Amino acid sequence: MDEFQEILQDFLVESFELVEKLDEDLVELESNPEDLELLNGIFRVAHTVKGASSFLNFDVLTHLTHHMEDILNKARHGDLVITPDVMDVILESIDLMKALLEKIRDTSSDEGIDVSACVARLDKISNGESPAVVEDTPAQEAEPEPEPEPQEEEEELDYDNMDPEEIEAEIERLLAQRQAEDKAKREAKLAAGEEVPSMPQPESEEEEKAEKKEEEKAEAKKAPAPTPAKKEEKPAQEAPKAAAPTKRAPATVEQTIRVDVKRLDHLMNLIGELVLAKNRLMKINEDVEERYEGEEFLEELNQVVSIVSLVTTDLQIAVMKTRMLPIGKVFNKFPRMIRDLSRELNKKIELVLAGEDTELDKSIVEEIGDPLVHIIRNSCDHGIENPEERLAKGKPEEGTISLKAYNEGNQIVIQIDDDGKGLDPEMLKQKAYEKGLITEKEVETMSDKEAFTLIFRPGFSTAASVTSVSGRGVGMDVVKTNIEKLNGIIDIDSEINVGTSIKLKIPLTLAIIQALLVGVQEEHYAIPLASVLETVRISKDEIYTVEGKSVMRLRDDVLSLVHIGDIFEVERILDASEHAYVVVLGLGTSKLGLIVDTLVGQEEIVIKSLGDYLKGIEGIAGATIRGDGGVTLIVDVVALMNMAKDVKASALTAGEEGGAAINEKTKPSDYTVMIVDDSKTDRTIMRKALEPMGVTLVEAGDGQEALNILKSGDYNFDAMLIDIEMPRMDGYTLATEIKKYNRYKNLPLIAVTSRTSKSDRMRGVESGMVEYITKPYSADYLASVVQRNVNFKAEFL
Amino acid sequence: MSEKLKQIIDKQSEQKDSVVEQLDDVVQLVGFMIGDEEYAVPILAIQEIIKPFAWTRVPQVPNYVLGVFNLRGAVIPLIDLRLKFGLQSKKQGDDTRFIVMRHGNDVAGFVIDRLTMAIRIKKENIGPAPDTVSGDDTIIEGVGKQEDKIITILKVNKLLERTF
Repeated sequence: MDEFQEILQDFLVESFELVEKLDEDLVELESNPEDLELLNGIFRVAHTVKGASSFLNFDVLTHLTHHMEDILNKARHGDLVITPDVMDVILESIDLMKALLEKIRDTSSDEGIDVSACVARLDKISNGESPAVVEDTPAQEAEPEPEPEPQEEEEELDYDNMDPEEIEAEIERLLAQRQAEDKAKREAKLAAGEEVPSMPQPESEEEEKAEKKEEEKAEAKKAPAPTPAKKEEKPAQEAPKAAAPTKRAPATVEQTIRVDVKRLDHLMNLIGELVLAKNRLMKINEDVEERYEGEEFLEELNQVVSIVSLVTTDLQIAVMKTRMLPIGKVFNKFPRMIRDLSRELNKKIELVLAGEDTELDKSIVEEIGDPLVHIIRNSCDHGIENPEERLAKGKPEEGTISLKAYNEGNQIVIQIDDDGKGLDPEMLKQKAYEKGLITEKEVETMSDKEAFTLIFRPGFSTAASVTSVSGRGVGMDVVKTNIEKLNGIIDIDSEINVGTSIKLKIPLTLAIIQALLVGVQEEHYAIPLASVLETVRISKDEIYTVEGKSVMRLRDDVLSLVHIGDIFEVERILDASEHAYVVVLGLGTSKLGLIVDTLVGQEEIVIKSLGDYLKGIEGIAGATIRGDGGVTLIVDVVALMNMAKDVKASALTAGEEGGAAINEKTKPSDYTVMIVDDSKTDRTIMRKALEPMGVTLVEAGDGQEALNILKSGDYNFDAMLIDIEMPRMDGYTLATEIKKYNRYKNLPLIAVTSRTSKSDRMRGVESGMVEYITKPYSADYLASVVQRNVNFKAEFL
Repeated sequence: MSEKLKQIIDKQSEQKDSVVEQLDDVVQLVGFMIGDEEYAVPILAIQEIIKPFAWTRVPQVPNYVLGVFNLRGAVIPLIDLRLKFGLQSKKQGDDTRFIVMRHGNDVAGFVIDRLTMAIRIKKENIGPAPDTVSGDDTIIEGVGKQEDKIITILKVNKLLERTF
């Protein structure tokens, strides 16, 4: 049973591949009915499927393909002309074949689909148009192998009418005979110096056909008696398979293996972990570099880190590539679709494909199909005009839809152009207004480009009448949501009577993206870099308020602003600084300025889901793990832009008062100074020096402790005395950390240390220290430095 | 030899039986404090218990969802049971722990005030939840009676269920 399953799997995989190619070939064939090469290819598909399915006992499928094969065979011999009507039936039968294959895939059985109607039609064509062909093939075959031929032919003719026992017996006899023949023939060929599997080219047309006929019969007959067939099955099945590729691509033999997608997904996950670890390693490297500047081992470490980083990036690209599929896989189904549509709509439409080799991540290829179907249907239905209309406009009768894919930076662009009637922005606006999708004011202010995007709004349909093809008003907004789900962007452009061009810009992969990390208060967020147009630094007075919304001038445009803190309900505990950064987000034609406190930098991030418990939070697309092991949330730009509409301007003005007001000092103990030193003795010395002033003193044993005290917000410090040499976190790092908080930007940090070298002093300044006191010092000196830095009021002295 | 082997095998299967028996009527729980109350969850639902560390706030969630944290590469939600049970939030101290619970594919970390102990309790000593809170919606699995106290046993699947 397992063996059967294995064979079945192989059969399905192979058949689906063949059928996929078939659609394209058939449409091509219709315009090129004389192309024998194509016909042969198509015939082989039907034949291979028939052969294999009969071996696997799929009678319905065998029955259908057998009749298809009949017609194709006749066409191949020139006994039948492929007219559009014939093609309709053939295409229908191929659809049935696909349905059957899917049925087999799902249920391991091909029962339950009725093929008789289609078969009858196939027969009608086969008989009605050229009734005399039945005897045709054997007559031609007579030459190479005269002896067995008549028997086999006879066999084929009554095959359906024989009862099982007879067949069984007949098969036994024929098989033995056939095996002997095959053997003899193969030997003969070997003797003639030919390779067995790649025989078609050198042999005469007749001979090839004869081969096929035999194989097919052999296979067909093997079905009821599988045991004796075992031996023969191999050559019989392999021959057509081998013949097909050698004919199409004689020179290149591609070496491929099939891999379960799950394994690739797992590999991708592992790479994700590796990228995270790499980020972390690089961060540690930076820290180490800072602390042990000039030490010899640093260079070595640097080398290793850069190699790891390089290899990780390469590895990531390599694995991504294994998941890449050519977009041609999706494009393949469109020639057929266009053909059907143009017949249905009575229009003449030509489809031009370009860039089918462009590769995309598998998951995206799977998602991109439906949106493209919608767009192309829409172009056929609403875009391309009737032939008469086109002629009247002075355009060629046949409309053209071109579908192309190409790389653009880190993105793939899929462009769908038609030369139809184009979109009328005024009409679109009017329509949208009637349907209540936009307000009267929007009608006036909306640009043409914005008007085009109206077609992607839910509940918008431009077709005057609803056809079966499109116009139910569901299609295009589904396109938008699907593309946005892939982090993609839709760009639409159109000119009346010239045509419409829709561009889908999609990232190459979903799992790992480039992101801009921004900071607000103590929090960080990651914004997909693909949506970031630019960043600008502004001061507060560049922000204006219009109708309760913040806006700013960006060159010639007015950009509406929103503070990230307002969207994500960030508590504003820290003082906002005088300057802010605006990240200009672009999504299609709409733009939004997102105000953030700091720009942290660009980083490659691995997208992780927040899980079931937290999924669907508006504005958050997922999370990623940063180099330091912390979690950073990823902004969902699409949702954020929607949310921004409902947010009032408040953030920038609100935070301002907080910090300054409290600092009114009425007595010496209102001043609070923190002493950070790991030595108890040193702390006591400092305490003794400062106590006479009457200020409140708080002690911390190391940098980490000091930072925790600061963070807890229990005290409002006016100055800090910091030792440099400390366990856990040294003075420089502490100073750098403290300066990260807006609230403590202006807190005077005074280094008290026995390190006296110039480079130490320089580092102190760099990390934000304002004074540098070297041990030993006099108590008075320390007190005066502190007084100076906390603006100690003279009356307290 | 085979005689001996047989004996061993018999013995083992006997042991297995008795283990099954034990499992049948004894429930193993992990107890913890939230405020002044002691609660417990089945030990098998607990993936691990860790000391508190940094987490990232997530916007637009109820206050008891503190955010998410990184558990060896997985992003996991963190829920404060004090807030969830309507108590005042309390500064995390030395005794605070995150209990990571799993039910099926759902995983979340829960902040608790203090661990008490692992408890083995006989099934017969577990009573149903009080009538006032019973029903499908309750978060309480039952009430475990011990010599000097009672322990509220929580339903892990309910704890892990999103209710907003």
